[in-house]
Amino acid sequence: MPLRPVEFHILLALAPEERHGYAILQEVAALTDGELELEPGTLYRALHRMLKDGWVAESPRRPAADVDDERRRYYRLTPLGRRIATAEADRLWRLVSIARTHRLLSHG
Amino acid sequence: MADLPRRVVWWLVWVYPPRFRRDVGQGLVDALDDRMRARRAAGASNVSIWARAIGDTLRNATAEWGDALRGAVRRSAFDVRRAGSTFDVRRSSRRTLDDIRRTPNDAPRTLNDARSTSNVERRTVMDKLLQDVRYALRLWRRRPGFAFVAILTLALGIGANTAMFSIVNAVLLRPLPYAHGDRLAVLWAKTPTRPQSLLSWDEYLAYREQKDSFDAVALWLGQSVNLTAVSEPQRIVGVFATGSFFDVLEVKAERGRFFTEEEGAAGTAKPVVVISHRFWQRHFASDPSAIGATLTLNGLPLTVIGVMAAPFDLSSVPADGWFINYDVFMPVGLFPVPGGIANAGPGMLGVTRLKPGVTLTAANANLAVVSSRLLAANPKAQTGRTAEVVSAQESMVGDSRTPLLLLLASVGVVLLIACVNVSNLLVARAVDRQREMALRSALGASRWIVLRQLAVEAALLATASAALGFVLGRWSLQGLTWLKPPSVPIPDHIPLDSSVLLFTFGVGAIVALLCGLAPALRMTQPDLNRVLQAGGRRTTGGARVTRDALVVAEIALSVALIAVSGLLIHSMLSLRRVGVGFDSSNVFTLQFRLPTSKYSRPEDIARFFRETVTQVRGVAGVESVALVRRVPFSGNWGDTPFTVEGRPVAAGQEPRAGQNIVTPDYFKTMRIPLTRGRDFTDRDDLHALGVVVINETMARTTWPGDDPIGKHIKVPDFKEALTVVGVVGDSKHRSSTEPAQAQLYYAHYQLPMIFSSLVARTAVPPMSLTNDVRRAIWAVDKDQPMWSVVALDALVEQSHGSTRFLASLLAMFSGVALLLAAVGIYGVMSYSVMERTHEIGIRMALGASADRVMRGIVRRGLTLTAIALALGLPAAIGLGRLARGVLFGVEPSDPLTLTGAALLLASISLAACYVPARRASRVDPVVALAEE
Repeated sequence: MPLRPVEFHILLALAPEERHGYAILQEVAALTDGELELEPGTLYRALHRMLKDGWVAESPRRPAADVDDERRRYYRLTPLGRRIATAEADRLWRLVSIARTHRLLSHG
Repeated sequence: MADLPRRVVWWLVWVYPPRFRRDVGQGLVDALDDRMRARRAAGASNVSIWARAIGDTLRNATAEWGDALRGAVRRSAFDVRRAGSTFDVRRSSRRTLDDIRRTPNDAPRTLNDARSTSNVERRTVMDKLLQDVRYALRLWRRRPGFAFVAILTLALGIGANTAMFSIVNAVLLRPLPYAHGDRLAVLWAKTPTRPQSLLSWDEYLAYREQKDSFDAVALWLGQSVNLTAVSEPQRIVGVFATGSFFDVLEVKAERGRFFTEEEGAAGTAKPVVVISHRFWQRHFASDPSAIGATLTLNGLPLTVIGVMAAPFDLSSVPADGWFINYDVFMPVGLFPVPGGIANAGPGMLGVTRLKPGVTLTAANANLAVVSSRLLAANPKAQTGRTAEVVSAQESMVGDSRTPLLLLLASVGVVLLIACVNVSNLLVARAVDRQREMALRSALGASRWIVLRQLAVEAALLATASAALGFVLGRWSLQGLTWLKPPSVPIPDHIPLDSSVLLFTFGVGAIVALLCGLAPALRMTQPDLNRVLQAGGRRTTGGARVTRDALVVAEIALSVALIAVSGLLIHSMLSLRRVGVGFDSSNVFTLQFRLPTSKYSRPEDIARFFRETVTQVRGVAGVESVALVRRVPFSGNWGDTPFTVEGRPVAAGQEPRAGQNIVTPDYFKTMRIPLTRGRDFTDRDDLHALGVVVINETMARTTWPGDDPIGKHIKVPDFKEALTVVGVVGDSKHRSSTEPAQAQLYYAHYQLPMIFSSLVARTAVPPMSLTNDVRRAIWAVDKDQPMWSVVALDALVEQSHGSTRFLASLLAMFSGVALLLAAVGIYGVMSYSVMERTHEIGIRMALGASADRVMRGIVRRGLTLTAIALALGLPAAIGLGRLARGVLFGVEPSDPLTLTGAALLLASISLAACYVPARRASRVDPVVALAEE
């Protein structure tokens, strides 16, 4: 079963640091220049699935106290999750390379 | 306050599966909250914010539930066998790195694809369902008895419901099939003594002008018409109507044209006639040259100017469509009344089509205004008179509502009882398979599998029974319409309606739900340990309670139905016993109408009467003969206002009495007792003083304590006052249930009328003399048609027709319900004995006598019955109250009927318990103990 785009976006959003749910939504929106505005339900479905598969996990740590909302749940990538993200990125890179040789890319 | 939205958000998240909630619920609530705040800050409206949140929740929650269930299915026992080991199954639900690398081509294109299920998963679900269906069919093949009984029971119940609903639909629910049937209304004149009275020509003219409320208004009246100047003079049924009649009903002429308002009106009427399609086929053999032909009706030659196309099949509509089931349509201006219709006073029916959007209340308010204007213009004629419109549909079928709904409720009860029986069967089977289910559960199958299997089986049962029931229902409908008496307004042909199909489908779904519910409930929490250890077919307490509850429900429903049925039968018997005031046995009757052309003067009519009486009296077998204007129970009736000499009354407030016109010997022929004074004689004719005979009630109420003989009254039909010469006993005229009312009789030789009837008391069965009587009348006038040749007994019986019909149907349904309940009780008792064989064996081994065991079982049965009666009898009274409209001579809470019903159920219960109890008492302890 392949990776769904939602999931890849979430993995990307979590790659730099751990975030809580709403922060993930904001990051995904930022990553796609506002194109992909996820609803919380959709996000959490994917998160739940990835939690079960072991790609993300809840983070026990908390960032600095002044930006922390104590009640929030934070999520982080697991090593498996990181490997999944890399594998997908590689796969996409291969496809993009082929596209470039056939001059299909609009950006350089 | 800030917490309030958050709490509501928690409710939203509650929609998700429990596991999901446990894992990420908190985070989701936070994210939703954040999102909503952000949106609000950005200026979105509350409505859109919540709408999006709810939409998001519904979408994802459904998908999440789908995943959860699929996951459960994947972990089922079937897969365990197929996959080979549990461990493999668990692992295969997780995605690995290899999965990602291996299948790039299946990458979903859009986010929506990602959210929806893949084809592979969907097929699996379908497969599962089909598997369940095949499994259920296999089980049925192994035990065909069960399937046969269950499907047949349910099919009978559903069939009965389909048939009854078809009738209810055809009579009560479908609007009149005229172009705008829901806007048709009957226009009645209203007087203080009679709320539904006939209209006069002047009133018609005034109401016709009300363009605010009415699209069109028409006057009409049906009458028998003599068709002569043909090879066989016959009586046909005609209607006198204004030209607007065709406009009100929006009927079309299939040939020629209708007469206009002017051509139909009083004073300007033309000698034309419009014939019906049916008459055109019958009389003119569909010959196009019928237009322009001449028909001699009531001695008048009329030219046929058009053929009316029936807008619908008259036999498929209640009361035959009421307005247009006639042979010919004639201008109202030709109505045969002395002085013409314009001067005849009130004498016709009114019908109107309301303007779209105008309510009955608004129309009635409008009418009130017009009535007061009429009153001001002509106080003498209009005092006390107003008008009212009533929905045409209501007028036609309003009376049938209570009995039809009662019947529908009854078949509903029968179906419920059938469902209970089948439900018990299913529970028993589920219990049988409990061990198998428990094992499966232990191996990893969730209870969802079992539930789904039961649900599929119940659905399959319901579908098969609904299909069979539908067919049975349509067949029984044929039988019902064939058996029904004419007084019941059920159409002869009830065409198939999509509502009926929908109804059957709906009922099937409810049946599936009801039948599947009990076993499903039973299966929700099987206690694995107990079941596996208990072994055998012992049930846990839950199943027994469920079964007991079902049996109690059955008995309660049955007793309610039987009680109501008993009330109806009681009513029917009361009706029979009610005295009608005359002896209806061995009385021959027929009706006729003399053509005015041949009998234009009262003397001519009187001469015909005298000669007819003489001739018929000479027929062998006839004991006495008389003529009467209207035969009792023939459907014809009339009344008249009267004033007592010396007691002036304000116009419009006069008392009224039922009126009939009779020749001498009428009372003797009908065996109505003469209590004072004398009967009419031949000498009371056109040259003598006007006389009148009154009934006991009129004597008692008009001259209480005084002798009415010799008193004088004035009636509209006579110029001079009439003298009371005799008093006779009360008799019923319209129905057995009518209250006693004042009645008066004129002497027929003093008021000869072209419409009359003959009654003859015979020494032999009345109908055997038909031809002889006919010949006797033809000896007087060979061209005279007659009709409605019928025995008086038959007429009276017919008036009870609808009550008898209702009572028989209810009795039939009760019988079926009783049978089903008996079978149900027997089944439950048998089963419970069978599963307690072990326990009974122990008891007997320990010294309990066979008798004791038997009594225990019977006691249990009677306890259940007692509880059921406690519930069912109040339901019976309630149902009886609803049926009050059709009861006669008995109260809904009649103790005799209720006791009878209770005793009947109790004895059936006892009988049904007896056999299993006997079987229990014969249990051999050794065998029973060895069984485990």
